[in-house]
Amino acid sequence: MKRNLIFLAMSLASFPALAKDGRAIVDFFSNPYQWGFLIAMLFLSLALYVVNKALNTIREISAPKAIEDPSVAAVEAATEEKPRSFMQILTDAKPIEKEADILLDHDYDGIHELDNSLPPWWLYGFYLSIVFAFIYMIRFHIMGGPSSEDEFNTAMAEGQAEVDAYLASAKDLIDENSVFLLTDAGRIASGKKIFDEKCVSCHLADGGGLVGPNLTDDYWLHGDGIKEVFSTIKYGVPSKGMIAWRVELNPGAMQEVASYVLSLRGTTPANPKSPEGILIEPAKEVQTPDTTESVDSTNISETATIQE
Amino acid sequence: MQIEKFQYDNTIVRNFTVAAILWGTVGFLVGLYVALELVYPSLNLNLPWLTFGRLRALHTNAVIFAFVGNAMFAGVYYSLQRLLKARLASDLLSKIHFWGWQLIIVAAAISLPLGYTTSKEYAELEWPIDIAIALVWVVFGVNMIWTILKRRERHLYVAIWFYIATFITVAVLHIVNSLELPVSGMKSYSLFAGVQDALIQWWYGHNAVAFFLTTPILGLMYYFVPKAANRPVYSYKLSIIHFWALIFLYIWAGPHHLLYSSLPDWAQSLGTVFSIMLIAPSWGGMINGLLTLRGAWDKVRESSVLKFFVVAITAYGMSTFEGPMLSLKSVNAIAHFTDWIPAHVHIGTLGWNGFLIFGMIYWLIPRMYKTSLFSEKLANAHFWIGTMGILFWALPMYVAGFTQSLMWKDFNPDGTLVYGNFLDTVTQIIPMYALRAFGGTLYLIGMILLIVNVLRTVATGKLIRNEEAEAPALEKVYKEHSGEHWHRWIERNPLKLALFSLFAILIGGIVEFVPTAMIESNIPTIDSVKPYTALELEGRDIYIREGCNACHSQMVRPFRSEVVRYDPLHQQYSMAGEYVYDHPHLWGSKRTGPDLHRVGGKYSNSWHYNHMLEPVSMSPRSIMPRYPWLFSTEDHDASLNTSLTKKKLEAMKTLGVPYEDEYIEQWESHLSEQANAIAADLNLNPDIQVDSNEEIIALIAYLQRLGMDIKQSGTQTASNP
Repeated sequence: MKRNLIFLAMSLASFPALAKDGRAIVDFFSNPYQWGFLIAMLFLSLALYVVNKALNTIREISAPKAIEDPSVAAVEAATEEKPRSFMQILTDAKPIEKEADILLDHDYDGIHELDNSLPPWWLYGFYLSIVFAFIYMIRFHIMGGPSSEDEFNTAMAEGQAEVDAYLASAKDLIDENSVFLLTDAGRIASGKKIFDEKCVSCHLADGGGLVGPNLTDDYWLHGDGIKEVFSTIKYGVPSKGMIAWRVELNPGAMQEVASYVLSLRGTTPANPKSPEGILIEPAKEVQTPDTTESVDSTNISETATIQE
Repeated sequence: MQIEKFQYDNTIVRNFTVAAILWGTVGFLVGLYVALELVYPSLNLNLPWLTFGRLRALHTNAVIFAFVGNAMFAGVYYSLQRLLKARLASDLLSKIHFWGWQLIIVAAAISLPLGYTTSKEYAELEWPIDIAIALVWVVFGVNMIWTILKRRERHLYVAIWFYIATFITVAVLHIVNSLELPVSGMKSYSLFAGVQDALIQWWYGHNAVAFFLTTPILGLMYYFVPKAANRPVYSYKLSIIHFWALIFLYIWAGPHHLLYSSLPDWAQSLGTVFSIMLIAPSWGGMINGLLTLRGAWDKVRESSVLKFFVVAITAYGMSTFEGPMLSLKSVNAIAHFTDWIPAHVHIGTLGWNGFLIFGMIYWLIPRMYKTSLFSEKLANAHFWIGTMGILFWALPMYVAGFTQSLMWKDFNPDGTLVYGNFLDTVTQIIPMYALRAFGGTLYLIGMILLIVNVLRTVATGKLIRNEEAEAPALEKVYKEHSGEHWHRWIERNPLKLALFSLFAILIGGIVEFVPTAMIESNIPTIDSVKPYTALELEGRDIYIREGCNACHSQMVRPFRSEVVRYDPLHQQYSMAGEYVYDHPHLWGSKRTGPDLHRVGGKYSNSWHYNHMLEPVSMSPRSIMPRYPWLFSTEDHDASLNTSLTKKKLEAMKTLGVPYEDEYIEQWESHLSEQANAIAADLNLNPDIQVDSNEEIIALIAYLQRLGMDIKQSGTQTASNP
């Protein structure tokens, strides 16, 4: 019993620890070997628990049999007045051999009932839960404990404070005012990676446009500069279905995608969507890559270098 | 004292047992199929009636009302006759009960895949079937009470208390929750809207678990466990206390399904505290069951029946501890809407209901056929395979639920969500879904072993249709003897027992519901929230027909992680006032997909169009099924049926939705105007060719409306003065 309680307490104690470090646990579960191991451990602990229970039970059922031995019975009788064990106090159960004393006289299709007392651990547990109920109601509805709305406001304020603290300490955070076109091939490549994952369902892999507009032509709905494109990605265009990606992407990532998107301009997609928005001639100083050429990274960095 | 001879009716028990086995197998198969659909979405084969949203309701209805229901009736009718020393009062009523119930099941099995649903969980069946259920249920009750009145046993045994409470409470729950206004032969709207509808629904839903899956099964436990173990019940005192405490407290706890929802806080708190107070009464049943085996544990080793009972009672104890823990708001904040909840539920259903029923069947069949079980070994194999099935079902789902919940709540330091794309949190747990389907397969294999065992057993015996019995007639006058327990006074009188039970279960429901219904300040209205347009209303009915609410909630809870995810611009959680015109509410109870309460305006019409046609085109790796039947093609006409639109608007008006008479008169032009606008917008897209009368247009209209009243209002809550 004691071991069971310790086992239970340990499992319960591990919950807050898990909840605090959500990220770690998610990483943990992303590895199939690790969750496989976890399940194996769960099974193992369950099996241990069951075996332990079974052993205890066998011990319990073998115990009364000893009474058949007359010498043991005599010893039992002699020590009848000994103090009751903790377990007996908790359960207050009539031993099986004395249950005839509390057998009720009713017979329902051969079923009899004993009249054991309510197990004290159960009864006091019940009382305790009732006390808990009163305390809970008084705390939250009379003493003014936090309501769901209060909890929400607190969480939002704490979240904002954390974000503010982070922004204050983090340097070089990009926003639509400070954003600039990236030149680094590596970062353009990570922009492509994000684009392939998040954007292709509406704009197609080659930027030709599907639900969203064609990104390769010279017609723009919300402006063709890096600042405008960054802004469009960040805040979205809810009326047209463009998502506000600031929820999912951090500023650096949005800068990468925006830079990659601009690198697509002038390429030839397989099925270009017809133009939307207004015609904006490419800025004169920007040398548009030759459309017959594939846009490799050298080309992009050249273009970008020229712009700078 | 005159000894009377009579006969027990075994035919009806056999019939209900066979029906339970048959429908159980069907229910498990459908369950396995929907589990596999979450791993392989294409399993819906592009057929509406094989799609998750519709089949999920078929699974739950089949296992609850067909499997457990039939098994419950079998066990009740078997034990009732013997505990009362009387044949069932009327063979005719028994037959009507049996065939009526099977007809209802067949009606459910046909109507649910066809999309006839009220959308209310575990009460999805439409109004004509609801009426049939009420009638058949009354037949059952009359048959039972009539038998009680004809009894040869003065006092009612504890099992019968549970049967009576079951009859009364399920009748009350079913009738109140099914109050709906018919629009046509198979379409109706709930009388209640929004928060009130949700409260009624979960008062029903929670107590369907309590009074359909718990109290009758406890009654069966009180008969079959002492019979199979040949041991006296542990404590009569405990029976009394836990019975009354259980039925009184259970009825209050429904709101724990609505924690952190738009339900008023005080009602949520009642749900929490009454759930905590339920631990002891529930465990009272477990203690009385397990300790009845005291001194019979050596028999458990040999008897598969007792093994099933032990695991069943243990599963009951585990889930009735877990339930109250889930009712604590801090735990609920993690578990709700995730797979933790199905895991919890299935410990109860697969373990407690299933295993108790399996044990009962293995015990009953040989006795009714006067033979012995064909193979104890096969029954043992069933036990172990079934147990493994439960573990493989539940453990992966606990991991899945916990993982997904933490992913939902995970923030980057800059205030963005780590898993801003909901889909990332779904694909993460698909391996767990596969493991769960494996667990379900094991459980189904166990059921097949049972069928083989039962068939072989039956072949070696012959059904004793009418079992001879005798008992002394009941004396007219009863003299109390001294020292008798006070409770015997109630046990002698079924009417008292029924009335006190009714009284006990009505208190909680009334205290919770009446204030919410009467005091308007409980539901602050919001001026900008307007009724749905005719087209949106039709779209909403498509949403209901397809069972979208089986996977998508419409309840942004007051958590930072939820407002940032679902309403990044306004960061406003869902408020009670937004639902005042929602007959019925569509809050949902599980997020296999993201919440949709603020989805309006998030995507373009064409995004929704493409997404409903082919979800992975817009959302790669999505496990949402395709819905091609909402789109017209050369071979398929998906025109929106508007023959009921006017009636629907009028019905809504009757229910208190403020439509102008003029609007209802002009519904057709309003509807086509909105539909044409959406179709025109879609047709701007070179790849899209859509007619404004297609069903998809109505669905898009509804989806684009969700949350817009709040987004456009610009103001926050405006409470009633």
